[in-house]
Amino acid sequence: MTSESSGQSRISRRQLLGSAALAGGGLAVGSALGGISPAFAAAPRAVSNPYPSHPTWTFTLVNHVTTSEFFVPTRYGAQDACDLFGCQYQWVGSVNSIVSEMVDAFNVAIDAKVDGIGVPVIDPNAFIAPTNRALAAGIPVIAYNTAAPTTTADKNLQMCYIGQSLFQAGELMGQQILDKLDKGRIVVFNPTPGSLNLQARTNGINDVIKASGKPITIDNIASAATLAEAVAAVKAYYAGHPDVVGMFCVDTLTMVGIIEVMQAHNLKGKIVTGCFDTIPQVVSGITSGYVDFTIYQQPYLQGFLPILELFLFKLSGGLNIPSSVETGLSLITKANIGQFAKYTDRYEGSSAAEKIIPMSGPISVSAGDYPPTQLS
Amino acid sequence: MSTDVSAPQGRSRLDVTPPTRVGGVARVSALYSRHREIAAILISVLLFIYFLARSGSLFLGSNVATLGQYVAPIAILAVGEAMLLICGEIDLSSGNVYALSPFIVMYLNQDHLPVILATVLAILISAFIGLVNGLITVYLHVPSFVTTLGMSFLLLGIVLVLTNGATGTPPGGSLYADIMGGGNWSELIWAGCIVVVFAYLLKWTRFGTYTFAVGGNLNAAREASINVARIKIWNFVLMGALAGLTGILDGVRIAALDPTSGGTAIMFSAVAAAVIGGTSLVGGSGSVIGAFFGACFLETLYDGFTLEGVSQFDFDIIIGAAILIAMIVNIRFQRLRVGRSFEELEPEGDEA
Repeated sequence: MTSESSGQSRISRRQLLGSAALAGGGLAVGSALGGISPAFAAAPRAVSNPYPSHPTWTFTLVNHVTTSEFFVPTRYGAQDACDLFGCQYQWVGSVNSIVSEMVDAFNVAIDAKVDGIGVPVIDPNAFIAPTNRALAAGIPVIAYNTAAPTTTADKNLQMCYIGQSLFQAGELMGQQILDKLDKGRIVVFNPTPGSLNLQARTNGINDVIKASGKPITIDNIASAATLAEAVAAVKAYYAGHPDVVGMFCVDTLTMVGIIEVMQAHNLKGKIVTGCFDTIPQVVSGITSGYVDFTIYQQPYLQGFLPILELFLFKLSGGLNIPSSVETGLSLITKANIGQFAKYTDRYEGSSAAEKIIPMSGPISVSAGDYPPTQLS
Repeated sequence: MSTDVSAPQGRSRLDVTPPTRVGGVARVSALYSRHREIAAILISVLLFIYFLARSGSLFLGSNVATLGQYVAPIAILAVGEAMLLICGEIDLSSGNVYALSPFIVMYLNQDHLPVILATVLAILISAFIGLVNGLITVYLHVPSFVTTLGMSFLLLGIVLVLTNGATGTPPGGSLYADIMGGGNWSELIWAGCIVVVFAYLLKWTRFGTYTFAVGGNLNAAREASINVARIKIWNFVLMGALAGLTGILDGVRIAALDPTSGGTAIMFSAVAAAVIGGTSLVGGSGSVIGAFFGACFLETLYDGFTLEGVSQFDFDIIIGAAILIAMIVNIRFQRLRVGRSFEELEPEGDEA
């Protein structure tokens, strides 16, 4: 028995100091971790460029699906632009398109007095106030990947839009469907019906097909934002509608489900299919004949160009006004899939290595293949 | 170690005597043992100082209001979760009540109900959802984890079907918006008031005492004629109401209603905040003030590191490490406390 009597705390000075040391150690580790963190973010490499030296400017790219495979080349593009110009970028927002998380990150970026902000406007109203606040604080704001809808376009004051015209992308898909089909039932899958970017594409498809007057029935069906659920949704739909003559989706992940169904039921060549973007499964699907076309929106440029424009704005004190860029009405079919299929590269996000992709032969351009030279 | 020199001779072995000569260490540990929230307050303050040192004036200024907007919703939800955890239950559906309730306000207002009435009704409906959770848990004997898990899926489906996945706009004029979360500080003021009210409830009312009793020792509470069912069900109702209110406040703050908002992510943050604040996961002890500071700690991490320019992927490493470190520190203090009460219950040492 120790010499302490009852009622006296048995907590020794050693225990308390030990806990305090732990707290201090925790703080030290925390400092060290915090010290590492700027190194994780883009540390600018010394480059030779014609511009005068400047402090490392920071640009915040808010995003709605920060961990999405689609945006991997976007981040490569932002990184390359930052390295070129001696800046750094921050990639924050939400993993699952949760608007409040994006708004919170946007607000913190304003408080941190960053040098520019880019945001996909996935909600018609939520970004109006934060954008105004940033502009009032002298921080330029641009929209990328998703533009504000026409309903609130006059209130959303982002200075330009760099990305795909979503409604017109839908119209392009609709036109492709009309070129290949005359009648029958088709399905258009949308993983997040109602959400701004994908719904605009769906509307474009529906409008073009309805306007044509052809006897094509469109089933607009919800798939899902995760692969497993999207595959399940496609399988369930096909089980109920084996007479379908075309299966399309306004995202890219659902196409993986469509390819699976085609393989299971031996549908290659028997139905028409199309989607957006060029993830590896889509690229191999086009090469092997499962996917008839995809519409490409150049994710690398959606990272590179915002940084470029924000940098030039900052450098010139606002004389170089950010300009809208249509990045994405490129139709990719078996005829021009070659470059995509042949290489793994930074521009598709399939490889991080910086390399020059060789190109040879004539460049074939048909009307509607490339983004229009007139911006509408 | 200091010795107790004033213990009278021949004292009964059942006496529990507080330390009469209190050294510095014993005084500090007594403070920790009486107030579970001390650890959470301490780590929050330390974190604040850390970010102040790193980001300087940027961390103050307009960022304080932004930080308040990060903290407030988690704090309110954490208060409700803390109450439930203290009485031995949990609510996994709070994030989905959070998502549903502002849409109820929007739809009721679209049907020409005045917005204030619609708000009150939405909160009442949220409280009713809590009631259903409580009834199923208590009377059908389904563990609350499972009950509320099922309810969370049910509510998620209801929100998606009602909205068809589309976002909405919260109703109400500018005064309503200012009070109900739109102003820079309004949500934080709501959170502060709720914390004060519930801290009073827990510490100074019979309801609070019974909540602790029910969570600490269910059978003993029953034996002591406490209406265990009523205590638990009321705590579920309160959680539902708080979740409904938080959803409305956040929806008005962002000026957008999102059917995929909230959900399990916000619920886990709230539970984590409650636990970091000193609420035990097994019931019987906790603090709503601690829950508030737990929310401060968690959300200061997000705010502070975003302010520093950390990107999403590195974020998660740092957040995870910080939470682990905070909880290790927290548990150390809790173990000190347990050690002390063990000591109090032990029979006296060898007195002649």
